[in-house]
Amino acid sequence: MGDISIIQALLVFVVAFIMGIDQFSFLESLYQPIVTCPIIGAILGNFELGIVVGGAYQLIQIGSMPIGGAQPPNAILGGIMATVFAVSLGMEATADGVGAAMGLAIPFAVFGQYAVTLTFTAMSGMMAKADKYAEEANVKGIRNLNFLEMAILGTLFGLLAVAGLYGGTALGEALKDFSWQFSWVMAGLDAAGGAMKFVGFAILMKVMMSGEMWGFLLAGFAMALLCAANPATSGATLLLCAFVGVAIAIYDFTVQTKIKQNAGAGAGFVGGDEDGI
Amino acid sequence: MAYNIPDKYQDLTPAAQLDKKTLNKMVWLSCFLQASFNYERMQACGWLWSMLPGLQKIHTNKEDLKASMAHNLDFLNTHPFLVTFVMGIVLSLEQSKADTATIRSVRISAAGPLGGIGDALFWLTLVPITAGLTANMAMEGQIAGAILFLLIFNGVQFAVRFGLMYWSYGLGTKAVTLLTSSAKEFTRAASILGIFVVGGLIANYGSTSLRIIVGDPAINIQGLIDGVLPKLIPLLITLGIYVLIKKGWTPVKCIMLILVVGIVGCAFGIWTGDSKAMDAEGNTIPGGYKPLVEWYQYPEPPAE
Repeated sequence: MGDISIIQALLVFVVAFIMGIDQFSFLESLYQPIVTCPIIGAILGNFELGIVVGGAYQLIQIGSMPIGGAQPPNAILGGIMATVFAVSLGMEATADGVGAAMGLAIPFAVFGQYAVTLTFTAMSGMMAKADKYAEEANVKGIRNLNFLEMAILGTLFGLLAVAGLYGGTALGEALKDFSWQFSWVMAGLDAAGGAMKFVGFAILMKVMMSGEMWGFLLAGFAMALLCAANPATSGATLLLCAFVGVAIAIYDFTVQTKIKQNAGAGAGFVGGDEDGI
Repeated sequence: MAYNIPDKYQDLTPAAQLDKKTLNKMVWLSCFLQASFNYERMQACGWLWSMLPGLQKIHTNKEDLKASMAHNLDFLNTHPFLVTFVMGIVLSLEQSKADTATIRSVRISAAGPLGGIGDALFWLTLVPITAGLTANMAMEGQIAGAILFLLIFNGVQFAVRFGLMYWSYGLGTKAVTLLTSSAKEFTRAASILGIFVVGGLIANYGSTSLRIIVGDPAINIQGLIDGVLPKLIPLLITLGIYVLIKKGWTPVKCIMLILVVGIVGCAFGIWTGDSKAMDAEGNTIPGGYKPLVEWYQYPEPPAE
């Protein structure tokens, strides 16, 4: 595509910037291909083709929603690039006609995912800054950290989309080769990213843990394992954990308040013991 | 971790009820819950941002605001559309100046289960249904599909956000006044619930596992570990980091360690990891990635 005007490139950047943010924040629905693709189509001068690509890509996407922190290859860059290819290769505006555009867009979707992984990793390091701002009651600092990640994500997505706009299929090939060659680095980031939440858990444990609490930690762990192992309950694992946890907590609360009341009532009060003997 | 979050706020007089304007502002800010999402604390910093209008009104004492902001940066992962439910409860606790440990325990216990509920409601029900219907309209070339999708999705989203905020804030305020007479016992019970849920979180979100497959016939090392105790590795890593943090390691140092161990481990094919690399036909690499040093043969997927 040699005939892209600066204005078009700029508009694509802006759209990708907004969608890069919207995939996690704001309306969390603008980024869906059914919305993004028509906009990109309109920018590139073929609105109708954009609508069709959006519909087709959306159907693929339904099977892979971001659940529980796991991310499918990125829908935004996938959708944007599928539209770019469909328009530049003059595909027919039917569901069958645009099929090939999806495949060509995959390397970009993979790189969109890399942009997300890298940002989430880098921002993990920024949490120490957040702690510091909190200790200074620095409200603006906290706000700016949120702005920072949104700016990083938006810019990365904007740059990738514009690069794809000019680079086309050749860039797609290069990106694919790169991702195959350095797959161990990205897998390493993926593995490390998956383990970083343990730091968050450890901080929580530091607050709540005391000698007698260890049993409850392991009990919760066991409860979650059991629920997750059963396909019928695995979807509700944490909810069921909370049910059991609440029962234990209420029981403990009741017992402890009773003990306090009894202690207050003096040694002569022995009510409630009789039925136990 | 130079700053130690106090157990109790200095000003223990319950704050006035928050006005509608503040609550609405917080609902709008809750749209940015994941604005600073990261692997360590997930939604923590976005959560704090959306809580700030309320926290600033509640904690007029500067030291209390610091303490409150510091503990509102705990690990948090809940569903972005249901988060206002947690916000309402935590606000009512903050307002009645409950112990910080209580607030922390209640927050993680309320947030965790909502994640699964929200995924089931939104990503697995609402989106497939609305997107499925409207995608077919789009494939016939009608832009009405996209508009309809946005209207339905956001209509539901904001009804849920506003509804849950007011409902849970009212609920929490009523419940909390009953419990303030036994604050110490309540803190203990909340900690039990909190630690129980953290145990559940470790098993539920802990995904770290080994990729190694050795010998002929192939022996899957992770399979052996699962035979002893499933999710043993996530449990051990969490306990290891807990020990490090108790020893005075900063979270950043722990994260750096994890990053190095993760990447070096994958260079040798030790950890399970997904490079997400795909070719134009959508084929992926067997085992998720190709290690730099291949000292064992990852089995080819069975041919179809």
